[in-house]
Amino acid sequence: MESEKDSDLRLVQLSLIAKIIASFTHEVKNHLAFIKESAGLVGDIMESRKSLTKQDIQQSLNVLQSVKDQIGKTSDLCNYLNRFAHRMDKPFSTFGVNETLEELLVLLHKLSSQKRIILERDFDKNLPAIHSDPAKLQFLIFCIIEEKLRRLDNNSRIIVKSAHSSESITIEVIPRGNSVETVEEGICPHEICQYLIKQLGGSISQEAEEIVVTLPVAGSPLHNVP
Amino acid sequence: MTVTKILLVDDEVEFVSALSERLRLRNYDAKAVYHAEDAMPTIMKDKPDVVLLDLKMPGIDGIEILKAIKKFDTTIKVIILSGQGDREIADEGIKVGAFDYVMKPVDIGEIITKIEQAKKSR
Repeated sequence: MESEKDSDLRLVQLSLIAKIIASFTHEVKNHLAFIKESAGLVGDIMESRKSLTKQDIQQSLNVLQSVKDQIGKTSDLCNYLNRFAHRMDKPFSTFGVNETLEELLVLLHKLSSQKRIILERDFDKNLPAIHSDPAKLQFLIFCIIEEKLRRLDNNSRIIVKSAHSSESITIEVIPRGNSVETVEEGICPHEICQYLIKQLGGSISQEAEEIVVTLPVAGSPLHNVP
Repeated sequence: MTVTKILLVDDEVEFVSALSERLRLRNYDAKAVYHAEDAMPTIMKDKPDVVLLDLKMPGIDGIEILKAIKKFDTTIKVIILSGQGDREIADEGIKVGAFDYVMKPVDIGEIITKIEQAKKSR
C-alpha cells in the first residue's frame, strides 16, 4: 500500500518538476529573445549610421544596460532552479522554510501570471530552521497552490504566510478572489497531500478556502533527528 | 510605395520594444502594445497590414484575439510569435486563420521574409 502511494507520489513529483521546467524554459527563452533582439538592435544602429550621434550612443548604452539587467534576472532564476533541484539531493536536511517557499513561488511565477494571479509573501522573518524533507514540503505546497490556481478567477491573489510558535511552524495558503468549482482533475490527489504531510510529521487543516500546514520544529517523527 | 503597418502584441515589453525598433529601422511602421486588451482597439483604429501576435499572454486566450481580428477584417495577416513549447497552440492558430508563425528567439531575417510574404498575400 505504502509503495503504491510512493509510486503515486513520484508521479506528482514528476508533474511538478515538468511544470517547473516548462515554465522556467519558457521564461528563459523570453529572456534570450530579448537579449538577441537587443544585440541585433545595437548592431542595426551601428550599421545604419555613417557616424554615430550622441543620441545613438546613448540609445546603445541604454540597450546594453537593459541586457546586463536581463542577464542578472536570468542568472537569479537559474540560481532558484538550481537550489530547487538540490533540495532533492538528500531526503532530510536542516533548512529554512521561507527559502524553500521563496524558491517555489519564484518558479511558479510564470504559471500564476498566466492567470494574472499574484503570489504574495507574508513570511515570518524569525522562523527557526527545521530538520525535515524540503523537497516533499515544496511538493506539498505546490499541490495546494496548484489547486488554488486552477480554481481562482483571473486577477486574484494567493497569500503564502509563514509563522511559528515554540513547537511548530505553520504555512498558510490563503486565496483572495472568486473561487469556482471545477471538474478538472488536479495534479495532486487529496490522499497524496495526506501522505506527504504524514511523512513530514505534520498536519493539514482547512478553514473555508484557507489551507494551513503545520510542521513540528523538532522534525519528522518518522526519522531520528540529531 | 506604401509603408507596411505592423502591430506587435506581446506582454514581453523589452523584447517587443527592441523588435519593433528594429522593424522601424527597416522602414516599417511598427507599433507595439503590451496588453492583450489593447490589441483590438488599436487594430480597429490603426488597421495594420500585419499583426505579430503572442498567443500566450497573461489572463487572456490569444486564440480569441486571433478570431476577433479575423472577424474584424479578414485581410489583416496575423503572424504568431511563439515559444518553442507552444507549437500546438501555434498550429491551432493556423487553423483559425493565422498566416504563419515564428518561434522565439526570432530571427529578424525570417520575420521580415514572413512579413513580406504576408503582405503580398493580402
